[in-house]
Amino acid sequence: MKLYYFSEMPHHEYPDEEGAHYPSLRLAFPNRFFDRAKAASNYQRYLTEYELADRVGFDGLMINEHHSTPSCVNVGANMTAAVLGRTTTRAKLLILGNILPIEDNPVRMAEQIAMADLISGGRVLSGFVRGVGVETWWANANPVHNRERFEECHDLIMKCWTEPGPFRWEGRHYHFRHVNPWCLPLQKPHPPIWIPGTASPETAVWAGQRGYTYVPFLVPFDIARELFEFYRQGAAEAGRTVTPDNLGFLICAVTADTRAKALEAGRHFVWRMGPTLRGPLEWFSPVGMRSRAGKQFALKARPRSLASMSYEELVAEHFIIAGTPDEVAEGFALVQRELGIGHLLLEAQESRMDHATTMRSIELMGAKVIPAIAQV
Amino acid sequence: MRPHEETISVGGTRVHAWVGGQGAPLLVLHGAGGNRGWRKWMERVAERYTVWAPTHPGFGASGDAEWMEGVDDLARFYLWWIDAARLGRPHLLGQSLGGWTAAEMATMSPGAIDRLVLAAPVGLKPETGEILDVFYHSPLQLRDLNVHDPSAVPEWEELFGRAPTPEELEVAERNREMTARLAWKPYMHNPRLERFLPRVGNPTLIVWGREDRIVPVACGEQYRRLLPDATLTVLERCGHLLPIEHPDAFARLVLDFLGGKTRP
Repeated sequence: MKLYYFSEMPHHEYPDEEGAHYPSLRLAFPNRFFDRAKAASNYQRYLTEYELADRVGFDGLMINEHHSTPSCVNVGANMTAAVLGRTTTRAKLLILGNILPIEDNPVRMAEQIAMADLISGGRVLSGFVRGVGVETWWANANPVHNRERFEECHDLIMKCWTEPGPFRWEGRHYHFRHVNPWCLPLQKPHPPIWIPGTASPETAVWAGQRGYTYVPFLVPFDIARELFEFYRQGAAEAGRTVTPDNLGFLICAVTADTRAKALEAGRHFVWRMGPTLRGPLEWFSPVGMRSRAGKQFALKARPRSLASMSYEELVAEHFIIAGTPDEVAEGFALVQRELGIGHLLLEAQESRMDHATTMRSIELMGAKVIPAIAQV
Repeated sequence: MRPHEETISVGGTRVHAWVGGQGAPLLVLHGAGGNRGWRKWMERVAERYTVWAPTHPGFGASGDAEWMEGVDDLARFYLWWIDAARLGRPHLLGQSLGGWTAAEMATMSPGAIDRLVLAAPVGLKPETGEILDVFYHSPLQLRDLNVHDPSAVPEWEELFGRAPTPEELEVAERNREMTARLAWKPYMHNPRLERFLPRVGNPTLIVWGREDRIVPVACGEQYRRLLPDATLTVLERCGHLLPIEHPDAFARLVLDFLGGKTRP
């Protein structure tokens, strides 16, 4: 099983009581609380942590993107991929991912991902996501077109990478008369495609049909297994075999020299389970963004919201794995046995987890955990 | 008098309508909240006019119209529908989203309609203030923002007095989705509409609630200024859902205007 290091690049640099005055930390919390000097040093810090993760042997570095929220100030996944493409040497760069439905120019996106792939020597894993509702508001993209735009944007990007230009694209949502990108990925025909999932059965089926790597985020094991079943359905329709390499899973994880220290550090993950997800339903799931089936499955997938769970419960249900290197290695092996996955994505820094703690955790993962699970 | 229901299809899309009354036809276009059925104000107006109250495509009991991408599509559709329903040259009344649709119809084919009533229509970008982002608020918040004083709304109990059934929630969700199709961006307005309105010579009555918290009264002034033959009446102590909040006053204004008494 391959391990991936991930930080959301949080900007938890304001008094919590200020954030609590607003209906949500996303969209509504005023950006006068954005601390420019701290952000500047944090970007350096976060990139340094990614670079260490590359050196100690993580198989991949996962990068994501959000907008209008202190929970993640990585506002340009492809920009980060390009930077890491130069400052790291071996790990894959898992962009998970570019938010397709809100993109107005898929050709530019195809070029940017290609450029990151070229700069990194062909290390990009290209994830595509539908985004949470917040990004739809940020971009003022019509949520009722979310799935249609996701698929059409995907189709155009793939065409840019697989068919020679110039060509014309007249779709429903995208219109380009002269497509001929002079920047193509190093990997042929294109970087592997990854798709995350939290609740939408349609997405799982769609990814399965195409043989893309599919990664549920922070859902209970039985829900992940159910989503993998939808994935297998899609794969079967297309006559594809599913191997562990097609399946991944995301959890939060931290290790330290002692169990007590690790458990203390792990508490920082609680912020991303509750406070950063607080807000009106309409902001996270605007009208029409989810299909009826997706909505019903979402209710089932989260009988209890992550926000309502205590730290101890989150640990008990393996949403967070925190412990000594031996303990986390054991935890990761358990996740692998439960789900049969080939990729485990670790959200390994959050909230106010400090640089020293994060660096030590990465170091220990490299020295002890990665070798221990090499055969898993 | 009891209305009856009709279904009239045009262009492959099925449209449900409430029809009732006697006299010249009056086509009534509902707002984003959907067709609220045969209301008190309609009862009054139906004494002298035949009220046709269709449910927009994509809303309530009408068929889907996922091909529509804007209110201009809906307006074009209703011009076909006037012919399909054999309404001749009806008076046209629209509220909020329906008011915008009515205004677009008048700009497309002023000769196809007689008199025009616009009740707190969206459609123009306010010169001051902003149109409330209805998609950003919950249905419950909107219910309260829609009126000035719930206790003064005669049909409050009937319309909002109990929790909606799962079927009603489903319809409300579908109504919101269709509204998003029609009016997401530019939000609830057509930047070119102000170019078109001066070509509409139809006698027009614009009615607004002074306490409208959804669409600023300033928009009423803008409509009045842009339409060559329009008057604006502002009802005091009244919010956005004016035909629901002040049914008698609203019906009286409509009857007087359609009867020709308030022509400037």
